[in-house]
Amino acid sequence: MERIDLDAADPGFAEALASQPGGERIAACFMCRTCVASCPISAVDRRFHPLRIIRLALYGLKQEVLASDFIWLCSSCYACQERCPQGVKISDFMTLLKNLAVKEGHVPRGIRAQLDLIREHGRIYPIDDFDNKKRNKAGLPSLPTSCDVVAKLA
Amino acid sequence: MTDVGRHPRIKLYTLSEVVGIKGYVGNFEVKILKRARYVDEKECTSCGECAKVCPVVRPDEFNLGLSSRKAIYSPFPQAVPAAYVINVNECLGHNPVVCAKCVEACDKKCINFHMSDQEILEEVGSIVVATGLEAYDPRELDEYGYTRFENVLTSLEFERLVNAGGPTRGELIRPKDRKKPRSVGFVQCVGSRSARKGASYCSNICCMNTIKSTLVLKEHDPDLEIKVFYIDIRAFGKGFEDLYARSRRLGVHYLRGLPGTVEETPEGSLRVAVENTATGKLEIHHLDMLVLALGVKPAPSTQRLQEMLGLQLTPDGFFLEAHPKLLPVDAATRGVFYAGCAEGPKDIKESVTQASAAAARAIRLMHRGEITTEPITSEVVAEHCKSCGKCAEVCPYNAITVDVKKKTPAVVNQAACAGCGTCAAECRFGAIIMNHFTDGQITGQIEAMLEENPSEKILTFACNWCSYAGADYAGVSRLQYPSNVRLIRTMCSGRVDEKFIWHGFRKGAPVILVSGCHIGDCHYIDANHWTEKRVARLHKRMEKMGLRPERLQLAWISAAEGVRFAQVMKDMEALRRSVTREEIQETIRILEEAKKG
Repeated sequence: MERIDLDAADPGFAEALASQPGGERIAACFMCRTCVASCPISAVDRRFHPLRIIRLALYGLKQEVLASDFIWLCSSCYACQERCPQGVKISDFMTLLKNLAVKEGHVPRGIRAQLDLIREHGRIYPIDDFDNKKRNKAGLPSLPTSCDVVAKLA
Repeated sequence: MTDVGRHPRIKLYTLSEVVGIKGYVGNFEVKILKRARYVDEKECTSCGECAKVCPVVRPDEFNLGLSSRKAIYSPFPQAVPAAYVINVNECLGHNPVVCAKCVEACDKKCINFHMSDQEILEEVGSIVVATGLEAYDPRELDEYGYTRFENVLTSLEFERLVNAGGPTRGELIRPKDRKKPRSVGFVQCVGSRSARKGASYCSNICCMNTIKSTLVLKEHDPDLEIKVFYIDIRAFGKGFEDLYARSRRLGVHYLRGLPGTVEETPEGSLRVAVENTATGKLEIHHLDMLVLALGVKPAPSTQRLQEMLGLQLTPDGFFLEAHPKLLPVDAATRGVFYAGCAEGPKDIKESVTQASAAAARAIRLMHRGEITTEPITSEVVAEHCKSCGKCAEVCPYNAITVDVKKKTPAVVNQAACAGCGTCAAECRFGAIIMNHFTDGQITGQIEAMLEENPSEKILTFACNWCSYAGADYAGVSRLQYPSNVRLIRTMCSGRVDEKFIWHGFRKGAPVILVSGCHIGDCHYIDANHWTEKRVARLHKRMEKMGLRPERLQLAWISAAEGVRFAQVMKDMEALRRSVTREEIQETIRILEEAKKG
């Protein structure tokens, strides 16, 4: 059994989450576990567990939630959100947590690398002449190799 | 049911529908549409010869399509009256060239195709609404695969399958391959306790129904593996916990956690993914059959009946009782009572209790042949009435009749009138006298209260049931609130006429408060909706006349809200202090001018 250190909890965290889009109904969760049983990620990776994340958030264990990498595992398939009988917006809640995590500076290395790619090239997957050649062969128009507009925005 | 059918003083109309209800307590006139049966119900002996020759085969509704019936049939073995019935939409017709086989087969000649629908008028003194329930339709909960997998059943279908009188004579087989299942799963709360699909309330009966089903199954076959997936087992009644314990003792597995996905294997069995709370692990259960414990919905006829009888519904869609604790079987309309699931989901025992109570309440009301009513009723002065119909429109009890076309004056039914006074407040021609709360009495009170130093008084209208009682409660609780509050009691906030407000301001009132029961809690069904509309109207008018609209306040204060009452009064006092003598003088001048103009 893991021990939960409630002294490290931030009692205002759950309330702060509930006032933001995606977190409105988290307190309504009655732990029926439909979300976990519906989740394709939980089925292969036990680190990801929507109910556990909601519980941690409700306990106010801010650091534990935001610094962890499990919130980044959500694939946003919305199966849990669609099936939750209490109307908790679980997928939206994960997005909210991710946004907060970024604000607090907790970004996993993989995500950081993707962000850098977007900042530099405007795309996660850079297009080069090789790709355009293949596209032309398939009868598709060429794409610009750089996205300066996005780079400017970033 | 059979006893009801045989009782000499109970008239039972089957295949019938109530299409209209008029009147009031003791004098209801009910219009009933009795559909043609095409079989003489007194002569028919249910020998069944007709059904043997009938060529039309249809799914049997009573067995939920798990067996078939003919176009001439008896709905179920214990049906009352014990006579066959023809579904004309399915029947091929009585023309001998086409069919008429049943007519030939019937020795007693009780099949008559010339019967037609009848309209029957019944005069009754009281009405018990016992329209029952409808089961939740699980098709929208796609994750359980009810529409895709044959071996996923509803609790109703399952009930017919294990019933000795059912299509399989009680032999449990699964629909897909008619094999005996070795494992059965139950999913609880299907269509209940859900904010999104189905209803948000607990359906009350599904837990115990599932527990009963597991016991029946264990009786059939002690080796059968049974799993129940639940959120909470609610075994709250007398003897219920015992039953639950017995079920667990017999080896039924209760797993806390609802299935997320259900998949079918090539053999027709089901793979059910559940996160088990006890182990904290995602488990895959292989089951031969899955039963969905359906929730309870209000009967589809509820809405129409509600309109016909002028009743109210709770947000759930069930009928609203007159008082949740003290009048649980009475409707707000006198002479109407509820029994069974019409009022809310309940089991057999509770339904019987409520039905007995409703019958007793109806007898208590009817046996004397007359009723005692409060003298607080409204009266129409015929010569002032312009037959505009406003009073009839606002009356929550439909106690006023007026023929707008023929211009006959309005008539108040004294037995149906409950005395809220909304009609008197809404009548623009002063044609309605509200007994015991007449215009003269109330304006007299206003004048007396504002006789000395009116600028220091807070004039307040409080309804008898909530706000006045709330003031009482504040007093009993020794709460401090400004002593310059002056209360005028009316039965309902709906009684507070526009002219009382103008009169108050004309007599120099700095502020006026109108208070009543919270919306939805009104003791006169929905009379306070009219209060709300009226105050909004007054606010608009005040603005036009150049008066500060916030000087007229509306507050909902319940009988238990003593603290709120005190707070509202403190707020009113703060508001009063903001009104200067000059403003009051100006108000009086404007109003006097408006009166002259």
